[in-house]
Amino acid sequence: MTILEAAAGLRARKFSSRELVDESLRRIAQSNPKINAFITVTEESAKARASQADEELARGLDRGPLHGLPIAHKDLMMTRGVRTTAGSKIFADFVPGVDADVVKKLDDAGAVMVGKTNLHELAYGITSNNPHFGAVHNPWDLERIVGGSSGGSGAALAANLVFMATGTDTGGSIRIPSSFCGTVGLKPTYERVSRRGVIPLGLTLDHIGPMARTVRDVAVSFNAMLSRQGDLPTPSRKGGDHTAVDQPGYIPPAHVDIRGLRIGLPENFYFDRLDLDVAGAVRNAVQTAAALGARIVDVRVPDIGALNTVGRVLLLVEAVSNLRPYLSQREKFGSDVLALLDQGRLLSGADYADAQRLRKILVTEFSELWTHVDCVLTPCTPTAAPKIGQTTMDVGGVTEDVRLATTRMMRAINVLGIPSLAMPCGFSTSGLPLGMQILGAPRNEDMLLRIGAALEDAMGFAGRIASRL
Amino acid sequence: MRDWRKIAAGIAPDIPAEDVEKIVPIMEALEHAFEPLRAAIPQGADMWTSE
Repeated sequence: MTILEAAAGLRARKFSSRELVDESLRRIAQSNPKINAFITVTEESAKARASQADEELARGLDRGPLHGLPIAHKDLMMTRGVRTTAGSKIFADFVPGVDADVVKKLDDAGAVMVGKTNLHELAYGITSNNPHFGAVHNPWDLERIVGGSSGGSGAALAANLVFMATGTDTGGSIRIPSSFCGTVGLKPTYERVSRRGVIPLGLTLDHIGPMARTVRDVAVSFNAMLSRQGDLPTPSRKGGDHTAVDQPGYIPPAHVDIRGLRIGLPENFYFDRLDLDVAGAVRNAVQTAAALGARIVDVRVPDIGALNTVGRVLLLVEAVSNLRPYLSQREKFGSDVLALLDQGRLLSGADYADAQRLRKILVTEFSELWTHVDCVLTPCTPTAAPKIGQTTMDVGGVTEDVRLATTRMMRAINVLGIPSLAMPCGFSTSGLPLGMQILGAPRNEDMLLRIGAALEDAMGFAGRIASRL
Repeated sequence: MRDWRKIAAGIAPDIPAEDVEKIVPIMEALEHAFEPLRAAIPQGADMWTSE
């Protein structure tokens, strides 16, 4: 069931919010011992909030499509009175006194938080193999990683435990789990969703966004999470009232028309080293877009390798800046996170400043692309989900570090700060989900949602539930 | 190339020697990728800001 279907069912009194939340809690109790998607389940407060949502609807207070629906927050979002661990031993007993902006916004939209999802320690990694709270297991194959760092959110969606979940993305942490779990995730434009109250990793690279099972569910969720104050016009709303403050967000209609839109297909970098399954699935999506009337434009993208290098320097230093007070407590960090922090400590202020200067040059180069195309379609991860504990993998005949290979097509997009929609585009020969990403100009999320919905409708891969649990 | 072991020896709190050895090859590879990029930064280039 999608968010809009559930919203319609609630208003038609086919079921209540309390019934939806009880069912969500029942599924969590059944599945979580196997997939470890949740660190904290907020059963009592969720039941109370659901009853309140039912009472509000009964007296005519309708907060919108998320009203009364069970959702989850990545355990990086501060939740007032509810432990927020960041997947870390350091924050294991941290109970915030305030909600993150995004938590408050979703609460105002009537959503019911049923729990806090597991993640890679401190959101600093892509496996969600958490040394303190246990590994998150992929609902499609319990021996495989779920991706990260928003891995618990991806697993909770793939296992049909909640309607949407929040995620953060500093180098692929919304898009990688979306790819490995067969779900949909939006990394919005930098600062389009408020970072306030989210435990930071890389201050100029952190993005907050929605994860769900379909593009339209992501659109509904993004609309609720969006920072309205100070919004600027989006390119796809030309000609209308450009003050976004009072504008409803874009939800793709039932029949989406993408005829004439220019979809960029990279000639360089993105198809260099991929599993054949992934390359085939993405090219099938491109053919589908062409069959729907979009114009496929071959493009050469600026130096993604340079952007990745710049992104690594920036994140290594920014993460140290955020975690400096805890660096003497080495025993409280997992070995992979500790190694990254040690690397960041060896870099200099000049390294960081030069990385930010290079960033400006590369951002300007990349922006030229948007005069030629409306979006760019690329693979998300070069393979399907690797196994838990696997440190290297063979990609196109080359042995690569799992983290570097998995972030290869992700990290540059955080440096650019542009929006990216990750969504399923097929399944591997072994039945694992495969993902692609659609990139767009800054603040042009509507275009990505429009194209994503058209492809989702035509290809039919989204919204599937992992059935192997 | 920078002497990463020497840089590590000069910072506090300490990084244990065995942990330094694990990251030196990573730092060397990163430096190898980063130095040509920074060498090409035009004079007077500004830093990125979020508008």
